[in-house]
Amino acid sequence: MPRSIFLSAIVYGLLLTGLVSLRGEFIALAIPFMLYLLFGFWNAPESIDLCIQRELSVDRTTPNTDVIVTTTITNNGTTIEELFLDDKISPRLKIRIGSTRRLLRLAKSGSFTFAYTATGPRGSYAFESLHVTATDSTGLIRREADIHSNKKLFIFPEIRRLKRVYIHPRRTRVYAGTIPGRVGGAGTEFFGVREYQSGDSPRMINWRVSARHTERLYSNEYQQERVADVGIVLDARASTNLFHENTSIFEYNVAATAALSDALLAQGNRVGLFVYSGFLGWTLPDYGKIQRERIMQTLARAEVGVSSVFAGLDHLSPRMFPAESQIIIVSALLQDDLNVLVQLRGRGYQVMAVSPDPVKFEYQLLPPSPRVDLALRIAQMERDLFIRRLERAGIHIVEWDVSIPLDQAIGPALMRQRRSMWL
Amino acid sequence: MALIALASSVIISVGSIAWGYSEAGFIIFSRWVILFGIVWLVTAWRGWGWLASPALAFAVMLAGAGLWFGLTPGWMFAGGIFSLFAWDMTDFRRRMIGVASDEHTRAVERRHIARISLLSLAGLFVASLAMIVRLKFTFEWGVFLVVVILLGLSQLAGWLKK
Repeated sequence: MPRSIFLSAIVYGLLLTGLVSLRGEFIALAIPFMLYLLFGFWNAPESIDLCIQRELSVDRTTPNTDVIVTTTITNNGTTIEELFLDDKISPRLKIRIGSTRRLLRLAKSGSFTFAYTATGPRGSYAFESLHVTATDSTGLIRREADIHSNKKLFIFPEIRRLKRVYIHPRRTRVYAGTIPGRVGGAGTEFFGVREYQSGDSPRMINWRVSARHTERLYSNEYQQERVADVGIVLDARASTNLFHENTSIFEYNVAATAALSDALLAQGNRVGLFVYSGFLGWTLPDYGKIQRERIMQTLARAEVGVSSVFAGLDHLSPRMFPAESQIIIVSALLQDDLNVLVQLRGRGYQVMAVSPDPVKFEYQLLPPSPRVDLALRIAQMERDLFIRRLERAGIHIVEWDVSIPLDQAIGPALMRQRRSMWL
Repeated sequence: MALIALASSVIISVGSIAWGYSEAGFIIFSRWVILFGIVWLVTAWRGWGWLASPALAFAVMLAGAGLWFGLTPGWMFAGGIFSLFAWDMTDFRRRMIGVASDEHTRAVERRHIARISLLSLAGLFVASLAMIVRLKFTFEWGVFLVVVILLGLSQLAGWLKK
């Protein structure tokens, strides 16, 4: 029941009792209550006419970095006796210094500035509105409003720099890059030997082969280096990411995706990101820094999703990726994913899977016991078998023990050229 | 500051009603009133704000019953007025939960308490008038007024020092 109605009921009750019993004491007792009500109604705030201006010290940052949020409120209406400000921020953000709630008196045309320091994990945070409650001195009459301000804070995943990611898709694009293009021409990596053509540099002549043929000269041919199309698939399914007591390996998946996309874009490739979650989120392939920003924003927003439709990787349609391009799947992987990955490989895609090791991850969460050790051995054997089957299908598997930093754990494996890539 | 004001107002309210009843010979009943006051204090301490309204209604009923049975009106008025004070302070404290304790908040708090104190004094003035009219301005009532005024003055002195 609103306070004013409750108090009015008391006043009416006392007045009625006084009138019925013809005793003035009851009416006298009602007087302070009536004064209180009158005072409240007299000072009742009129319509709220506030203007908000908000500044963030940074709008793109890394997890657990301090961000100072400064808000200025200007009162364009009449004086508000008690103004309660409640900045409704995401519960995932932690307030380190200051407070999001303020109580003050704001005079006509007056302004008030307050600041607080927030920090939080990876995510996209909207500072959309400030909830204000204006009341009279007694709190009997209150007016509430949400004042809007569009500010966004992106907390990107921390990026571990990978020096180079060695990929070798069947098809490359026409632009010069760092990926061997399976086409002879100018480059650094030996590709083959062909008959000498006029204009070839004498340095290119393969004297050993030419010596075997008395009438003809032969030149070395090098592999052209080009840029490639790369589709990165981030597996955000609950079935592969959530473990014992709701702990999640997803942050490691995101960290790996961020590092890979950063490195591949830096190499000049055209990179797209596909988030396979409760829905399908597709960042179209593109080049350069703007694409890096797009991918980082998508990664900031990425969440683990539960969906019976997307429980398996069956909806990972090959049409989404350019033909014979490189696909990198970042996932802990399930046994059921084998067929989909093999099918992708069969369609001519180069498939690489960067897989945070779920067995070791979960083992660290469990209390040590002989049973857990036995379970670890069984699970590890199953996984090893599964990985071997994938590798036999020509899929490049990079396993990551998440207790080791990403760049140290998988950096060397990603930099090596693999023979099986020629398959 | 708000908590002290709240506790003081509950004590004064319940104390006045209990005193009024015991003065008229309802000793057992006044003990029950004191028990009610203790419950109210505990709930205020624990921050159970929803109990403030039933407590106010009950305190007003007790004051009304006292007036009906012809008890000293001043004590009953004081009981009603300070129960209103306590009810107001409970809501004010609820509004202040999680609010940054800065100069602006303290200023609002000071103003709020000053206004509600003024209202209470006005109520006590009405009560004193009623006592004088009915020739019941007793020594105890005089002492009570002095205590309340001293409380208000000490609060005022505290603010001025800050």
